[in-house]
Amino acid sequence: MVSEKVVIKNPSGLHLRPAGILCKEAIKFKSSINFHFHNTTANAKSVLSVLGACIKCGNELEFICEGEDEKEALAAMIQIVRDGLGE
Amino acid sequence: MYKGTNASAGIGIGKVAVVEEKELVIKRETVTDSAAEVERFKGALETSMKQTEELAADLATRVGEKEAEILNGHIMLLSDPMLVAEIENTINNESVNSEYAIENVCNMYADMFASMGDELMQQRATDMRDIKTRMQKVLLGVESVDIASLPEGTVILAKDLTPSMTAGINPANVTGIVTELGGRTSHSAILARALEIPAVVALAGILDAAKNGDTIVVDGSDGTVLVNPEEAVLAEYQAKREAFLKEKKELEQYIGKPSVTKDGVHVELVANIGKPEDVDKVLQYDGEGVGLFRTEFLFMDRTAMPTEEEQFEAYRKVAVALDGKPVIIRTLDIGGDKEIPYMGLEKDENPFLGYRAVRFCLDRKDDVYRPQLRALLRASAFGNIKIMIPLVTCIDEYRAVKALVEDIKKELDEQGIAYNKDIQLGIMVETAAASLIADIFAKEAAFFSIGTNDLTQYTMSVDRGNDKISYLYSTFNPAVLRSIKRIITCAREAGIMVGMCGEAASDPMMIPLLLAFGLNEFSMSPSAILRARKMVTEYSTQELQAVADKAMSFATAAEVENYMREFINQ
Repeated sequence: MVSEKVVIKNPSGLHLRPAGILCKEAIKFKSSINFHFHNTTANAKSVLSVLGACIKCGNELEFICEGEDEKEALAAMIQIVRDGLGE
Repeated sequence: MYKGTNASAGIGIGKVAVVEEKELVIKRETVTDSAAEVERFKGALETSMKQTEELAADLATRVGEKEAEILNGHIMLLSDPMLVAEIENTINNESVNSEYAIENVCNMYADMFASMGDELMQQRATDMRDIKTRMQKVLLGVESVDIASLPEGTVILAKDLTPSMTAGINPANVTGIVTELGGRTSHSAILARALEIPAVVALAGILDAAKNGDTIVVDGSDGTVLVNPEEAVLAEYQAKREAFLKEKKELEQYIGKPSVTKDGVHVELVANIGKPEDVDKVLQYDGEGVGLFRTEFLFMDRTAMPTEEEQFEAYRKVAVALDGKPVIIRTLDIGGDKEIPYMGLEKDENPFLGYRAVRFCLDRKDDVYRPQLRALLRASAFGNIKIMIPLVTCIDEYRAVKALVEDIKKELDEQGIAYNKDIQLGIMVETAAASLIADIFAKEAAFFSIGTNDLTQYTMSVDRGNDKISYLYSTFNPAVLRSIKRIITCAREAGIMVGMCGEAASDPMMIPLLLAFGLNEFSMSPSAILRARKMVTEYSTQELQAVADKAMSFATAAEVENYMREFINQ
């Protein structure tokens, strides 16, 4: 299991479009990909789960990946968030 | 005659087609073979996905990628592993039918989104209900209303239009849209504007007033709807419709043309906006920049002050979109007339003469003004931002803001944060006091923008919201005209830019006078820009001098108005 923290910088937080881009990236990997924020854990492969976490601009998320390609998965998730999720 | 909210300009005349979604009856039924029921659900899911993909592809090619976005979002939601797993679990664990499982799970998510109280999340609640209905219709074999095959000359009447319904609208056949629910920013209104179909929304009771086959007139410019009008009225609207289409075509020719008078005087035709999203309209109508970006929206309808970061993003977005064209951003203009609980503004006896705008901001430097000015300065690194101070009455206020800006610049230098070192700080000239000492302001401020709505209100001492005295509220009053002329003259003598961002800047009767006075910049709602450009190109400022002299010689507003009306109609 590997994990890393990253800050969301999308102005309107994780609304549908950036959440969708996040999920599309996550489902490319075999590992389970979740993120922690406050007391909630969300499944990065589910757009509903990501939206439900109600992530706003400036929130810090901790991504947790577990599985055969966990390292690649984590690196990809951190990168795509840093790149602004298409915004 | 009925009156709703004007959502998409133009006049539509046609036969009513009431579009109704049949209320689906979802019953809980016990199934014996859960595995088979899950397969039934999966089949329906696949069909729903395919339908949505087809609708999205069709909409993307017919209208545009942006309009298809909502449906692409539906595809994402339909393919969500959590949603699918929860529906399957409900079927398995409770041995219930798919329709019922879908109803329960989708409603749960819709309620969750609806309770988040965020506008974007409200839209997701609507999306969840929309995909729920689509899957249930497939399962129950209920045909969707086929909007795509409505005959030519149809006006659609509906309670509300869901994204899946609006996606099928063919502008060749649909000449108008009227809905009982919705607002100017609802999905159906946005799509109607993109398709250029006249639309009126939020017109409660229209479904009781009209039935299939009735003749109906939809005036999407002012929100009027007429059911089975008399022949004479119908003919009048047909003429209006033709005039509207003709003018629209004519005005489109002015896109990309310079705003130059016959005698070679260049003016800037720019836009008033209230939200970053409004920039699309500015570009669509070929605005040469933004003359007034009201920042109040950032502070309204929320429970806490927007952070510097949030403001920075909003200002940066507009600056980037305008790509180097000027963007004048007005700092916060609020007072006791607005309910913003977290601001701690008390009810003012006289809010327009009270603790508001720059007076309030300078009193609340640390928590209100500094963060806004810092956000504006930081955003100035990304485009041509200029800062404008509202409601200035004396030079001390201008100097205090200037000092604050200089202080923040120093702070940004120390932190190594980029900003435009030559950023212009100007004032909104909208009080009688500022007008009388415009010569003093012109020596220090980088630019003026005349706010005619307030200037008229303050000069005439007339509350513009009071019907009993509304006859006094005219920018054509000689007192107001003299004030405007003086402000422009002072600015020109000092060599600074002078613009106008009130309603008067787009008034066809006022434009010739403003050109004669020497106004540099006209800021108006984006949709008025092309008409103003047409007017500008038809006049010569030299020839207009005589017209302005004559107009200024009258003693009453009515005389000036009559003279100008005659002049523009000749």
